[in-house]
Amino acid sequence: MATEREPRRRARAEAVRRAPTSPREGARALAVRRMRVALGLFVVLALASVGQLVNIQVLRADEYADRGSRQRVRTVELAATRGRIYDRDGEVLATSVTAATVFADPRAFRPSETPDGLLRPAAGDAADVARRLAPIVGRDAAWIEDRLARDAHFVYLARQLDHAVGQQVLELGLPGIGVLAEPRRVYPAGGLAAQVVGFTGVDDDALAGIELHNDTVLRGRPGSVLVERAPGGIDIAPAPREVEPPQVGTDLVLTIDRGIQSAAERIAAQVVVDANARAASVVVLEVGTGEVLAMANVPTFDPNVRLEEDQDRWRNRALTDVFEPGSIQKALTVAAALEAGAIGREQRFDVADRLTIADKTFSDVSQHGIESWTAADVLARSSNVGTIRIAQALGAAPLHRALLDFGYGRPSGLGWPGEASGLLADPEDWWSTSLPTIAIGHGTAVTLMQIANAYATIANDGVQVQPRLVRGTVGSDGNLTPSAPPASHRVVSASTARDVRSMLEQAVIGSGATGALAAVPGHRVAGKTGTALKPIDGGTGYHEDRYVASFVGFAPVEAPRIVVAVMVDEPFPFYGGVVAAPVFSEVMHAALLARRVAPDAEGVDLATAIAAAEAARRRALDDAEALRLATEGLVTVG
Amino acid sequence: MSAIASVLRRPVGAAPVRAVPRLELVGERLRSHVLAYTLLTVLAIAASVFGAVALNATAADAAVAARDLERRISEAERQHAELLVTVSTLEDPTRIRELALAMGLVPAGPARHVTLVRALPADGAHNAPDAELLLADELKPILSVEP
Repeated sequence: MATEREPRRRARAEAVRRAPTSPREGARALAVRRMRVALGLFVVLALASVGQLVNIQVLRADEYADRGSRQRVRTVELAATRGRIYDRDGEVLATSVTAATVFADPRAFRPSETPDGLLRPAAGDAADVARRLAPIVGRDAAWIEDRLARDAHFVYLARQLDHAVGQQVLELGLPGIGVLAEPRRVYPAGGLAAQVVGFTGVDDDALAGIELHNDTVLRGRPGSVLVERAPGGIDIAPAPREVEPPQVGTDLVLTIDRGIQSAAERIAAQVVVDANARAASVVVLEVGTGEVLAMANVPTFDPNVRLEEDQDRWRNRALTDVFEPGSIQKALTVAAALEAGAIGREQRFDVADRLTIADKTFSDVSQHGIESWTAADVLARSSNVGTIRIAQALGAAPLHRALLDFGYGRPSGLGWPGEASGLLADPEDWWSTSLPTIAIGHGTAVTLMQIANAYATIANDGVQVQPRLVRGTVGSDGNLTPSAPPASHRVVSASTARDVRSMLEQAVIGSGATGALAAVPGHRVAGKTGTALKPIDGGTGYHEDRYVASFVGFAPVEAPRIVVAVMVDEPFPFYGGVVAAPVFSEVMHAALLARRVAPDAEGVDLATAIAAAEAARRRALDDAEALRLATEGLVTVG
Repeated sequence: MSAIASVLRRPVGAAPVRAVPRLELVGERLRSHVLAYTLLTVLAIAASVFGAVALNATAADAAVAARDLERRISEAERQHAELLVTVSTLEDPTRIRELALAMGLVPAGPARHVTLVRALPADGAHNAPDAELLLADELKPILSVEP
């Protein structure tokens, strides 16, 4: 009991000891207590401050650093310039320039409140801005005013304008209007090789052609720059800048020869007009390398000003459209038969002008009695019956295998987006009339590139080389890195190829040859005409009056360098020998000149040459004099 | 002679000298050092401040110059790209052909090669028995620069 009372007694004694003994001591004790309370408060505040400091500086340091950076640092994306596209001689086919994009902040044209609750007046009158901007950016003032009335912070007013137009807009100093620099793709040669080169969209995205096919190479990598800005939004010049420079896209060098391409397009366009044709395509290949020197498609378009209604023209018909080859395939049938030993080079066949197989009658274009023709005669006269006789000697399976080897039924290897494989049914699915039908180029379908490469195989001593459009790439060091060599494989022997070449020359220069108009003065050329009825789309059978006229050939005959394939869709007149052969002649002439291939035809004697030169000189002088008189207005040229 | 030196040379047995005067002398010298150090420190601080400001100003100037250089390079690249387009457009074969035709030029005729029926001096024929006859050939100047 005494133990429990002892602490109470001590507490009372202590209280008595501490009790103020005077008023002055009482005030002092009160002050001490207040100071202790204040100290306690300060300690609490200090601890809270230290805690918050630890929270900000240690626990959430990264978060606050990021928030600070976002307020202070601005990341500006640096657009990467797309790589250029050159032709084989380094002429520019596609490049990029700086274009101006005009934008607006529509909310700047309406009164608003600042975060502090202050009233911010409209930056300007939208109608006035629209009226002043419209003639410069080529837009309607009402259209611009409508855009400025939108509830947004950013709207485009015009894109891909010339740099000078952007400067004009900036000089106006219009409130709420800004100008951005964006890359714009330009095609200096206009529509030249338009379907091959392709084009990009307004955001520099690849949409078609080589631009799309090689987008990963051409497209650069965007860079960025981190700049610090003052509260007013102005960049702090001496502040450290983190710059990651953009990587310019790699330049591409194509195999296309601009001169040959231009000639091919011009001649194809002319035949479309002259023959009132629906379309025409021309492919020019270099023998041995598989390089595509030209790939022309008409009608064409200008990628600089392409219109939506031109979409049908964007297609690279030489690769995406298939047609029944008709008689141009007969050379492949003959080559397959020679290679298999089914026929001999000098072997003769009794060829009538018609032949009935199952319930179908095949006939030659011209009527004739039963003739004794070699394979060369059959090709020269483009005899359907003769070719069927040769195919019958060969058989279905070997013909099918040979056509596959020549490239039928699979893409050419260019890897082109949307490239067609063509049509070639398996022999198991052939009917009784399939062999004769396919032997003369019907019941199957190819692209112009496939048939051109098949002829390039014959021109290249029987070795097929995969065609290619890209010679190589040019990096930042300016050096050309060649593309990987194309794949190749042998299809027929060199002797078979030489035999067929000789036969095809007779199809141009031989008696009664259908390809006489394909001749190129000064050069020996070989080739084959084709005229095929067009099958009905989505139906069975053929149109009665719609044809595809074609010609495929090469030159020089002894050591071929160039292959030219021509296809004219729905021409009139419709014979390949009349419509397509002259196109071949002109294109081949241009290609041989451009590639500096020496003439190999029989030469002329010196005296004749000089006389001809003198006559040409007189004609030129007369023409020049006539032109001079006409330009001086002395005479009127009718 | 300094007070410290006097202490060191005090004769043996002499009464010790009071240190107060000597301490005062040392105190005088210490005050001058403090002044010098203070001046040096102020100078160093001033130099540091001035240097920092100067460096900052130089950096700002260099940054502005760099920005200007970047802008000029960018403008030169833009002009180069546009000139490249202009040149390529002017070299367009279709345009050149149209211009050539408008100027009265005509497409080249078929290419042929010439077969010589007689050897010429340039072919080494001047040693031939009928060299004199060949030298008189009227076609020679056209086909040979040999005398």
